[in-house]
Amino acid sequence: MELEKYLVDATMEVFASMIFIDIAAEPSAGGPIPEIEPNLSSLIGLAGDLKGILAIHCPSAVALGITTAMLGMEVTELGEDAKDAIGEIVNMLAGCLKVSLAAKDKKIELAIPSTVVGKAIRTSGLSGATRVMVPFSSPLGRFGVELRFIFS
Amino acid sequence: MNSFAEINEKLIESTIEIFTGMVMMEISVAGEQLEKLGTLKKSITGMVGLAGTHKGLLAVHFPQPVALAVTSNFLGMEVEEINDDVQDAIGEIANMLGGNLKTILSDRGKDIQLSLPSTIFGDEYAFSSQAEVDQIILTFQAAAGSFTVEVELER
Repeated sequence: MELEKYLVDATMEVFASMIFIDIAAEPSAGGPIPEIEPNLSSLIGLAGDLKGILAIHCPSAVALGITTAMLGMEVTELGEDAKDAIGEIVNMLAGCLKVSLAAKDKKIELAIPSTVVGKAIRTSGLSGATRVMVPFSSPLGRFGVELRFIFS
Repeated sequence: MNSFAEINEKLIESTIEIFTGMVMMEISVAGEQLEKLGTLKKSITGMVGLAGTHKGLLAVHFPQPVALAVTSNFLGMEVEEINDDVQDAIGEIANMLGGNLKTILSDRGKDIQLSLPSTIFGDEYAFSSQAEVDQIILTFQAAAGSFTVEVELER
């Protein structure tokens, strides 16, 4: 299944319709997965035919830029507004993924989004799960959209 | 659906049960429920999402030394740093706690599904959910230190 494509499509759609910032998926060269050093990561659990966790990883500048664009006001610190905005984005990304999977007869349900803010934060899933990580470039900097999953 | 006080009570019971039965570690509830979780320092969080008739998440937050002690007990081998084994063990504990929470919330856990567990760790981080939720935060005490179990359920 083309999960990487679904992630790219979902992210492009959400950014084009809600945030109005030009982004581009970085082509995967088949090499090691490029790491993003996030200061803010939002995650949402997925359950059903696919069990997983979807996350967006943003360095400060990207998280602040997205929040500013979404709320239409200058946001300069990683506080409640930024957590809400990026949490909402991962929720929308999961909603798009749900629609794409439904078209392939895979039904998923969403948990609630949560956000981690900090220095040198790292997230991981179970070692048996498949990992898809798509880095995106934007005028604000790079960020990553990640899915870890198993088919149940 | 049980009342929140009942969920609280059963969550305490099932956490103690998992730690005594699976981790082989004696723990007890420490103090009152917390209203808010502060910044976590040098910690690791195991988290699992709930979807279906109840939407939410369960998270368990361990200071790193406690996580190492828990993993050593759980896997029966010494671990000295936060590595893949520790991440898997902490994720699995969140998964087991989530499994029990399912059965607490709904008869035999039908109609609720768990996501894949995930772990978060770092030198300093704050964890919060973005939904209108009812929240339970419980602190437990083990010989190696204390840790918290957090449940957030969408209203």
